[in-house]
Amino acid sequence: MLRSLKGLVCHPLKLDHGYALHTAAKDCLSSVLSQDVQIPAERPRAVFYTNETDPVKTFNEACLMVRKPALELFTYLKNSNFAHPAVRYVIYGERGTGKTMTLCHVVHYCARQGWLVLHIPDAHLWVKNCKELMQSSYKKERLDQPLQASSWLKNFKTSNEHFLKEIKTQQKYVWGKRESTEQGRPLGEVVEQGLARVRSASDAVGVVLKEIKQQCHLGSFRVLVAVDGVNALWGRTTLKKEDKSPVSPEELTLVYNLRKMMMNNWNGGAIVTTLSQTGSLFKPSSAYLPHELLGKEGFDALDPFVPVLVPNYSQREFESCYHYYLHRKWLQHEQARTEAGKEELRFLSGSNPQQLERLAGPL
Amino acid sequence: MAAAMRRLLRAGGRRGAALVVAAGGTRSQTLRLIYTTTAAWKKNVAASGPEKYTEAFIKKQIEEFNLGKRHLANMMGEDPETFTQEDIDRAIAYLFPSGLFDKRARPMMKHPTEIFPEQRKIQWGEDGRPFHFLFYTGKQSYYSLMHDTYEKLLNVQKHQDQMAAQDLPPQKEKKNLVGSRWLTKTELEEMLLEKLSDDDYSRFIQLLQKLVTSPCGNIEENYIKKFSREISAQLQKVVIEPLKHDDRGVAFSTGEGERKTSRATVIVYDNGTGKITVNGIDVLHYFPVLQDREQLLFPFQFLDRVGKHDMVCTVSGGGRSSQAGAIRLASAKALRSFVTEKEVEFMRQAGLLTVDPRVKERKKPGQEGARRKFTWKKR
Repeated sequence: MLRSLKGLVCHPLKLDHGYALHTAAKDCLSSVLSQDVQIPAERPRAVFYTNETDPVKTFNEACLMVRKPALELFTYLKNSNFAHPAVRYVIYGERGTGKTMTLCHVVHYCARQGWLVLHIPDAHLWVKNCKELMQSSYKKERLDQPLQASSWLKNFKTSNEHFLKEIKTQQKYVWGKRESTEQGRPLGEVVEQGLARVRSASDAVGVVLKEIKQQCHLGSFRVLVAVDGVNALWGRTTLKKEDKSPVSPEELTLVYNLRKMMMNNWNGGAIVTTLSQTGSLFKPSSAYLPHELLGKEGFDALDPFVPVLVPNYSQREFESCYHYYLHRKWLQHEQARTEAGKEELRFLSGSNPQQLERLAGPL
Repeated sequence: MAAAMRRLLRAGGRRGAALVVAAGGTRSQTLRLIYTTTAAWKKNVAASGPEKYTEAFIKKQIEEFNLGKRHLANMMGEDPETFTQEDIDRAIAYLFPSGLFDKRARPMMKHPTEIFPEQRKIQWGEDGRPFHFLFYTGKQSYYSLMHDTYEKLLNVQKHQDQMAAQDLPPQKEKKNLVGSRWLTKTELEEMLLEKLSDDDYSRFIQLLQKLVTSPCGNIEENYIKKFSREISAQLQKVVIEPLKHDDRGVAFSTGEGERKTSRATVIVYDNGTGKITVNGIDVLHYFPVLQDREQLLFPFQFLDRVGKHDMVCTVSGGGRSSQAGAIRLASAKALRSFVTEKEVEFMRQAGLLTVDPRVKERKKPGQEGARRKFTWKKR
C-alpha cells in the first residue's frame, strides 16, 4: 500500500551513474541488467514506495535489490510473444516481502527498454478516502473521482512524455459544450484536457486507456500495465453515495476502465500486478494468497495468470541488505557492525525486508 | 466426640484473656485467676511466664485426643490401632475441606503437645524456695547451659593436656561443619523455654565454636549435635538432562516454562538456522511486536548461539507478553543441556532460569483495584 503517495508523488530523479544496483547482488545479475548499468539514465523516473519512510530522500539515490522474482519476470517478459494476448502476472507474498519493489523494478526495466508504462501506484487509493465524488457526465450511474484521476494523469505525463506525442487519437471526443478533441490529435492533448478540466479527468483517463489498448497491437510500442494492489479493483470500497448507500467498485469510472485494461483481449504488452494486503479493505491481515485477497470475482477476472511469489530474504539477500545499510552508514550503533549484531538483526526481523528496515531505522 | 470437635476447631493455641496461675499450695492443683490482656503476650508463649495449662489439663487433652483419633478411624473405616498422624491429617482435610490459603488457619487435629506450647513448670516449691540453684540469675536455663558447655570445654582441654603429656598426636578428625548450621536464636529460645538477648546467643555460639574447633573436640560430639541442624537445601541439585537425538540424528532437548498464566513447552533442535515456530505459526506472525521477539532472542543471544538452533514451541494461556516470557524461560531451560555448567551458572545469575513469581494481585474490598483506592472526597 502506498500510504504517503501524496507526499511522494513524482519524485523525478536523475538516476545516472549515481545510482547503483546492489554490488553484492550483482552476482545474480543477468546480462540484460548489466547493460542497464552501463547505460546512463537520463529520463526522470518516478519511484514509489509502499512504506512511509522514504530512503530515497535520505540516501539521495533510489536503490533496489535485484532478487529472483524480478529476474524471473524479466525472463518471462523477454520471451513473451507479443502476438499473443497479454499475459498477466500477479506478484504475491507475505506482508513486507518486497512485492511493490519488485513491481518498481519491472517498471524501471520496461521503461528502460522503451515500453509505454501505465503505472498505477496503488489501486487502493482509488477505492477509499475519496473526498470528491461526482456523477459521471458520460454514463449516469457511474461516479467520477477528479482528484485521483488528475494526479494519475500528471504522473503519466511526466513518465511517458514522448509517447504522448506519438500516439494519435482515432476518434473524436467531446468533453463538454465547447471542448472537444479531434481525431488524429496527439494523446498529449487529451491529457492536457484532463488536467485542465478536472471535472472530466476520469473520462480523460478512460480515453487514454482505450486509445492505448486499441493501438498497441499494431506493434509500434509495447505497453506495460503495472498495477499495485490490484485486489482493490474487485473488493469493496469505503465510499458512499449521497444517499449513504455503499459504492461498489464498478460504479467508479476509473476502476471500470482499469478493469477493461486488465482483460487479456489485447496483445502487444504485458500486465504485471501486485496483491497488497496493507491497504486492502475488509480483509484479514493474515491473507496473502491470490484467491483470498482477490475474492471469487477478481480471481475469475484475472484467471489465467502467472503467479510470482516473493519470499522473505534468503541468507545472501539478507547479507547484502545489511552490507548496504552499513555501507551507506545507515546503521550507526557500534554493535550493529559486529557479527553478533547482524545475527540479532536477522533473528528479530525474521529476514523480512520490512521488519529489517523498521529495525534498522532507529539504529 | 464433642470434645474432639472442639479440639478440631481450635486453631493454634490462642486462648482468651484469662491467665491462670497456680500459686502457693500444691504444685499443680490450686488455681488463682489473674487477668491480663492478650496484647501483653509476646510471641514466645513458652517463656512468657509460669504455666497456663496445668499438667492435668494437658493429660486430659491427650486422652481426649486419643479417643477422638479412634473415633475418627472408625468414621473413616480404618483400623484404630494403626491410625497414624498422616492418616488423621488426610481424614480431617477430607471431612472439613477449607479454601483458606494459610495452612495454619485450616482445621487441624494434632497431638496436644504440638498444639499447646511447652510451658515452663513452676520453678519453686511449697516453701517458696526455687529448685534450680541459678534461679535468681533470672535466666536460669541459659546460664546452666553455659555452665554445662564450659564444663565440656574444660573436659576437652584436660583431655588435650593428657594427650600432649603422653606425646600422642591429637586426633585430627574434624566434624564437617559445611552441611550443618547452628541453632537460630528462636530455636534456642524454644529449647530453653526462656527469652534470650542477642548478646547471650552470640556468646553461646562462640563457646560452641571454640569447643568444636579445638582438637579432641570430637569427644563431645554427641553434646554438640544437639545444637546443630543439617542444611538440606544443598542436597536439592537441579539435574540437567542429557541431549536426546531424534530420527534424523539431530540433537534436541525440551524445556518447560511458565509466566503468570501461560505455560509453554519448547523443543530446541541443534544445527538450525534460527527458525522458530509457535503453535504451528511462524514467529513473525505470532509475535508481531518487537518486544516479544526480543524476549525470545535473549537466551540465545546470551549464549552467543543466535542463528544456530531451531525451535518448535507450544504455548497456551495468558497474554502476548506472558506467553513470550514463558517461552523464554522454557528455551533457557532447554538450552541448559547444550551448554557447559559454568554457562548454566551464568544463565542462572542472569535470571534466565528463574520463574518470575509476579502474578496479578488480588483486588481488595473497599478499594477499586489491588492498590488503587476510591476517589477521596473531602466531604
